[in-house]
Amino acid sequence: MATGFGLWVWIGALGSACPSRGRDLSAPDPRACRRYKPPPSECNPALDDPTPDYMNLLGMIFSMCGLMLKLKWCAWVAVYCSFISFANSRSSEDTKQMMSSFMLSISAVVMSYLQNPQPMTPPW
Amino acid sequence: MYRMAVHFGVLFFFFKFFSQGAMKVLHTFCVVLLVFWSVSEAKFDDFEDEEDIVEYDDNDFAEFEDVMEDSVTESPQRVITTEDDEDETTVELEGQDENQEDFEDVDTQEGDTESEPYDDEEFEGYEDKPDTSSSKNKDPITIVDVPAHLQNSWESYYLEILMVTGLLAYIMNYIIGKNKNSRLAQAWFNSHRELLESNFTLVGDDGTNKEATSTGKLNQENEHIYNLWCSGRVCCEGMLIQLRFLKRQDLLNVLARMMRPVSDQVQIKVTMNDEDMDTYVFAVGTRKALVRLQKEMQDLSEFCSDKPKSGAKYGLPDSLAILSEMGEVTDGMMDTKMVHFLTHYADKIESVHFSDQFSGPKIMQEEGQPLKLPDTKRTLLFTFNVPGSGNTYPKDMEALLPLMNMVIYSIDKAKKFRLNREGKQKADKNRARVEENFLKLTHVQRQEAAQSRREEKKRAEKERIMNEEDPEKQRRLEEAALRREQKKLEKKQMKMKQIKVKAM
Repeated sequence: MATGFGLWVWIGALGSACPSRGRDLSAPDPRACRRYKPPPSECNPALDDPTPDYMNLLGMIFSMCGLMLKLKWCAWVAVYCSFISFANSRSSEDTKQMMSSFMLSISAVVMSYLQNPQPMTPPW
Repeated sequence: MYRMAVHFGVLFFFFKFFSQGAMKVLHTFCVVLLVFWSVSEAKFDDFEDEEDIVEYDDNDFAEFEDVMEDSVTESPQRVITTEDDEDETTVELEGQDENQEDFEDVDTQEGDTESEPYDDEEFEGYEDKPDTSSSKNKDPITIVDVPAHLQNSWESYYLEILMVTGLLAYIMNYIIGKNKNSRLAQAWFNSHRELLESNFTLVGDDGTNKEATSTGKLNQENEHIYNLWCSGRVCCEGMLIQLRFLKRQDLLNVLARMMRPVSDQVQIKVTMNDEDMDTYVFAVGTRKALVRLQKEMQDLSEFCSDKPKSGAKYGLPDSLAILSEMGEVTDGMMDTKMVHFLTHYADKIESVHFSDQFSGPKIMQEEGQPLKLPDTKRTLLFTFNVPGSGNTYPKDMEALLPLMNMVIYSIDKAKKFRLNREGKQKADKNRARVEENFLKLTHVQRQEAAQSRREEKKRAEKERIMNEEDPEKQRRLEEAALRREQKKLEKKQMKMKQIKVKAM
């Protein structure tokens, strides 16, 4: 009986000597690691900020107008639109789209001036 | 004309006088002579120089006797004189036309006139005329500028130069703005790194690596948005920090901000484990932000239908308001430390939102309500404004460090806080109510969806039967389908009978 009691005391001491198994609230826990999951992107990018997409589209429209109707100011506005679209673009966006819009606007400006080297006249 | 009349009179007299036979021939000759003489004299009436007249008289007949050459040499003179005489140009030209019937080429005459030297005497009448014209020219002359497109100078391209300058300015601003945002983000991370690393095992993860290792740097989403994912802590799944800076890289945005100052923001979203957070919805922040959130957020609009209340009861400044599902939650949340945080950093706090029913902003669907409730997560959301109201410096980022302490404290608080029995019952009732409302609204749509699903199943089965090549199998499948349909009909009929019996 004494040995039994002694055994229990020893186990108890052992238990108390060990570090507390209760979770320390402020300690980082490697077991609780979760990987980063990007938020669902089917609606978020357009919802958050549609500026780059709108500017891209506007740029293309203006450059087509500048090329077809031979309007210099349209071509210049297209260049500005493609710059604004680039500045507001997300890193996940395709650079090819951006580059194609940019090239189209530059070509619109160049073609307008090749066809008609006169300087642009202000509308006023 | 008078002279012509005189000559004709003379002619008549001679005709009468010489009308008798023997003198008839002489008479006719004289008449002809007289006619031609009178005509030629009338033409050269204005000549002052008698020598010319004699000269022309001699040439008069030579004109008709000789061929082209003489006439060519002669006629230029006549052309000159006729051109000089403005008064009798028409008459003389007519006479000239009669004489020059044989002439075919008028151009050669004109060519010869150019080569012929002009006689000064013929221009006597013209001395006055240049004088009169010069007197007319003394009126002011307006010198018109050469049109711009015909000029050959850079100045005419001023609009193009303006455009290129604008583009250069935009590019300069892009570079400067991008660098500033990058420096601000780095300053924030440097000041918060220690705190984050002491609380989370995983600091910085972009989701691309195979293993969960800390990248230790921000994830750049945009030129003005930086993300940081922290994970590996008790009670929470993870924390996503988003640094939403102003679009300093876009010149248009910079100009718009001059009209309306806006602050940089830091948004923190802590995803809690299901067992570590009780069921409640609570928000505190500026009145304006809470009104906006109440409209936009699904859970706040459903569970916190009252207007934002003032937090003065708990010692909060007037700028802050509270939205809560029930009073017990507010009492539990507003302990001294939380009040201390909120009071001291009220200018930097935009909103604090704790919710177990968080599902993001309200989804506007075109086909009406969505068919099932959106997925909810237990979330703690914090939105802080960076001091400076747009004119931020990297050193201002250190001022946000106490707010991160508040976030950590809130995580622990949310874990510890538990509703009592009454509160729990109330919360459960609220959630059940919301769900029921949702189901009622979507009842019709769900029925339609179920119907369409059943039809799809039938169609798929029929197709399977049709595609079955073995006729035996086909027959058996058809029979099985028929039997199933009959069973369903029987069941329905039984139900109807039971309802009728109950009603009775």
